[in-house]
Amino acid sequence: MTQITRGTWAEAGTSLDFKTGNWRSTQRPAHIHAKAPCHVACPAGEDQQAWFAELQQGYPEAAWRSLVAANPLPGVTGRVCPHPCETACNRVQLDGALAIHNVERWLGDEAVTHGWDYPVTPPDEDAPVVAIVGAGPGGLSAAYHCVRLGLRAEIFEARPEAGGLLRSAIPPTRLPRAALDGELARLLDLPGITLNLRQRLGRDITVEGLRARFAAVLLSPGCEMPKPWSVKGAVPADLHEGLALLRDFMDHGALPDAAKGDVIVHGGGNTAMDICRIMKRAGARSVTLITASGLPGPGTAPDDVINVVPRELEEAQEEGIAIIDHATVSRLIMKGSRVTGVEIVALKKEKGKDGRKRRVEFEGTERVISVDMVVPCVGEQVAPEAFEGLLSGAYFWPDNPQGRIGERVFAIGDARGSRGTVAAAIGDGRIAAEAVAAELAGEADPVTDARPEMGFDGLNTAYYAGSARVPVAKLPVPERTFEAEIEGGISRAEALAEAQRCLSCGNCLACDNCWTMCPDNAVIKTVEMATDGSHYVFDYDYCKGCGLCSEECPTGYIQSVPETS
Amino acid sequence: MANSDTSKRLNELRMKHGRPPASPSEPKAEKTETLREAQPRFRGLESGHRACQGCGEALAARLVMESAGPDVMVANATGCLEVFTTPWPQSAWRVPWIHSLFENSAAVASGMEAAMKAKGKNTKILSFGGDGATYDIGFQSLSGMLERHHNVLYVTYDNEAYMNTGIQRSSSTPHAATTTTSPVGKERMGKRHLKKDLLSIIAAHHIPYAAAASVAYPQDLQRKVRYAMGVEGPTFLVIHSPCPLGWRHDSALTIEVARRAVQCGLFPLVELERGALTNIMPIREPRPVADYLELQGRFSHLFNKDDYRAQEELDHLQALADHNIDIYGLRGDGVDPVDTTGMSHVKRGGPLMGGR
Repeated sequence: MTQITRGTWAEAGTSLDFKTGNWRSTQRPAHIHAKAPCHVACPAGEDQQAWFAELQQGYPEAAWRSLVAANPLPGVTGRVCPHPCETACNRVQLDGALAIHNVERWLGDEAVTHGWDYPVTPPDEDAPVVAIVGAGPGGLSAAYHCVRLGLRAEIFEARPEAGGLLRSAIPPTRLPRAALDGELARLLDLPGITLNLRQRLGRDITVEGLRARFAAVLLSPGCEMPKPWSVKGAVPADLHEGLALLRDFMDHGALPDAAKGDVIVHGGGNTAMDICRIMKRAGARSVTLITASGLPGPGTAPDDVINVVPRELEEAQEEGIAIIDHATVSRLIMKGSRVTGVEIVALKKEKGKDGRKRRVEFEGTERVISVDMVVPCVGEQVAPEAFEGLLSGAYFWPDNPQGRIGERVFAIGDARGSRGTVAAAIGDGRIAAEAVAAELAGEADPVTDARPEMGFDGLNTAYYAGSARVPVAKLPVPERTFEAEIEGGISRAEALAEAQRCLSCGNCLACDNCWTMCPDNAVIKTVEMATDGSHYVFDYDYCKGCGLCSEECPTGYIQSVPETS
Repeated sequence: MANSDTSKRLNELRMKHGRPPASPSEPKAEKTETLREAQPRFRGLESGHRACQGCGEALAARLVMESAGPDVMVANATGCLEVFTTPWPQSAWRVPWIHSLFENSAAVASGMEAAMKAKGKNTKILSFGGDGATYDIGFQSLSGMLERHHNVLYVTYDNEAYMNTGIQRSSSTPHAATTTTSPVGKERMGKRHLKKDLLSIIAAHHIPYAAAASVAYPQDLQRKVRYAMGVEGPTFLVIHSPCPLGWRHDSALTIEVARRAVQCGLFPLVELERGALTNIMPIREPRPVADYLELQGRFSHLFNKDDYRAQEELDHLQALADHNIDIYGLRGDGVDPVDTTGMSHVKRGGPLMGGR
C-alpha cells in the first residue's frame, strides 16, 4: 500500500494551535450593556427593557418583580404618568413606540389580582427606623425602598388617608379609586412600614422632633399652597384656585355656581387639564384653557409644548375644551369684585439678550372674552409652615441628586421644586432611601449609573419584524362620567404580544446572530460562562477583530472597542 | 517502590489515550469538555484558519459544515478555502478532506463517492470550490460529475473573482466590477462582460436540486444544505460570499453587502429542481442597485460624477437586477415571513424563521 508521507496530511482541527487573535490590531468586540432610552427617560428609574425581556419570555410575574425593583406603584403610574419612556422609545422611528404605560398598568393590575409578593424581606425588629413625612407617591416609594434595603419606615400623613395627590388631585377617570386602593393597601401591608394618619407637621410633629427620634427624616410634603395669582394686582373676590377646586370637587362632588357659565382656566399643566374636563362634564356652558405654551405639532419647539399627558390633551379636545395657546390673561374686567370678562393677549417665550427665555406679550393682539369664572391653575408651592430654615424660596431646591437638605434630612418629590410628575417623586423616594441606607451603613452616596444611552443609530433594524402598536379602547365622549375610567385596559395576550415589539436596545437578545455569523468561530455560546447576562463569550484567541458581530448585533450590545482597553 | 516511576509513566500513557486505569486505586483520566467542544453544533471547520477578517467564504463554509456534518467527506478545489484552511502541518477541517488540483474537485468527489458506494457506506461526499474552480477551471469535471449522476453535493463559494491569486476576473465577476485583470480606465469601466449564469447551465443538467444561497441569510442557506443532503443524486449550491479584500469593503460589512445584493435583485436566491424553478426568496421592497454597489470599492468608479459612463453602467446594472426580478418573479406580494425582510427577523432566543 502507498505510504502517505508526513508532508501530505494533517491532524483534524489542528489549526486551533494557531491563535489568529493576534491579528487584531485596532479593535475588538465587547459586550457593552448600554442603557435603553426608556430607562434613561424614566423619572422613576425603571428599566423597561429589563422587564419587557422577562415578558418576552412569557414570565409576567418576573417582569412585575423587575419593575417594582424601582417603582412599587405600576398600576398607578401606568395610568397617570406622562410616559416620557414612550417618547424616548427607539421604536418611534420604526412603527410607533411601545405601549409601555398600558403594559405597565396591566402588570400592576395582575399583581393585585394574583397577590404577587413584593420582592422584599421583612426588616429586622431592631433595624433603624426612617421617618417619612407625607404618604403621597414619593413618601410611599421611599417607605417601600427603605424596607427593601432592610430599614423600617414610619410615615406621617396629615390627611385621614394615604395617597397624597393621587387621591386628592387626580380624578377617578384617570385613576379609579379601586386601582389606587388595591395597590396602596398591598404596599402599606408590607412588614416594616407603619402609617400614622392625621399627623400634621407643625401641629402634631416637627422636623426637629423627628430628627431626634429617627435615623433619618424624608420630607415629601408635596405642594399644597397655590402660587399667588393676580392680574396686574387685581384678584376676584370669589377666587377659586384650580387645585383647591379639584380637591373640593373630589371631596364633596360640588362646584361653585359660577362654574355653570363660561369658564376660563389659566394655566398649562395636568391639574389645569383635569379641572377643565371636570367643569365641562359638570355642566359649564363653555370651558377655555388659556396657556402660555404651544400645542404639540410640527411647528412647536419641544420645550414650548404644553406640559400635559398627551392622551389627556387629546381627550380634552374630544370633549370640547377650547384651548387658546400662546396667550395669557392681561386684564380682568370686574363688575364690583366679580369677574365679568377677561382681556387676553398673545404671548410667546422668546430668547432675550442674556439668552434666557422670557415671556413677550404682543401689543395689539388684545381681545376681550366675557366669562363667569376664572380659575387660575398656575402651579403650587410648598406650604411653608414648619419648614423654617429648610426651604429655599418656595421649594426645597436641594443641590444634590439625593435630595439632602440637612443632616439626615432629605426632600422628595414636587416639594423639591424641580419635579412635576408622580414618577419623579417615586424616583426621588428610591434615591433618597438608597442614600439613607448607605449613610447608615457608613458608606458614601451610591454612584449614579453613568452608562451611555443606546440610540436608534446603534441598532441594526434589519433584524426586527414590523408590528403595530396595540390599539387601546377609550370610552366614547358621551359615556364619560366622573367615575368611569376613560382609557381601557389590555388583555394578557395583547400585553405579551406588545412585549415582543421591544427592541431590547443595548441589551443581549440571545438571537444567536454573533454566534451564527462569526467567520472565525470565535463566538462561543454558553449560558453558564457568560456572566454578563448574555449567552455568549468571545474567544479572543481566535477573534480577528473584523467587526462583523458588532455590525450585525440587532441591539447594539456588541460594540467594537479599541484593542488596548 | 522500585517500579513506581514505571507505573506512573504507564498510567500517564493510559490517561493520554483514554484507556481505563489499571486498578481502581489509580487516577482516572479526567476528560473535561472545553466550552468550544460543548458547542451545540457540529464544528466541521474550526478556528485558527487563515481567512482574512470578515471573510464571507469562511463563514459560508462553516455554515455548510454545520448543517452537512458530521458524516461527510470533502473534496476541495484549489482556492482561498483550500489555502486558508490547510497551512501544513495544520488543518481546520474536522472531517476527511482531500485537495488535489484546481480543476478536478468534482472528479475527485466522484471517485470518493464511488469508493463509498463500493464499501457500502452512506457517507455523503461534498465537493467545494470557489467561483474560479467552478465557473471556469473545474467546469468540465463538474459537468461530468452531474451528468454521471454522482451522489455529491457540490458547493461553490462565489466571491466573484480569483481572490487567492490577487483578484483576477473570473467568469463570475459581475459586469463593471474592477479587478486587477479588468481594471477601470480610459477604455473600460471595469469588467466588460457579464456574470455567467451558471445556475441555468447547472439546471440544464436536469439534476434533482440546484439552488442559490447567501451568507446574509444563514437560516435559508442551512435549510438549502439540509435539503440537498437529503437528496440522492447530484445537487448544487452556489453561495454568494463577499470578499472584503477583493470587493474592497469594510470587513464588518460582509453581511450587509451580501444582504443588499439579494435585496436589489443582483443575486437572486432561487431553487431549481430538475431544471424547473420551484422556489424563490421574494424581495419585499427591491432596493436600488446603487445601495449595494456604493459599499464596495470595486464599483467606486460608478459613482464618479465627472465620468458620463458611470451613470450608464449604473443603469446597466440596475437593468440586470430588474431583469432578474422579472424573469424569476422576485417581486413579492405583500408581507411574507420568508421574504428578504422576514427571513432576517430575530426574536429573543433566536431567529424568527429558523429551521423552517
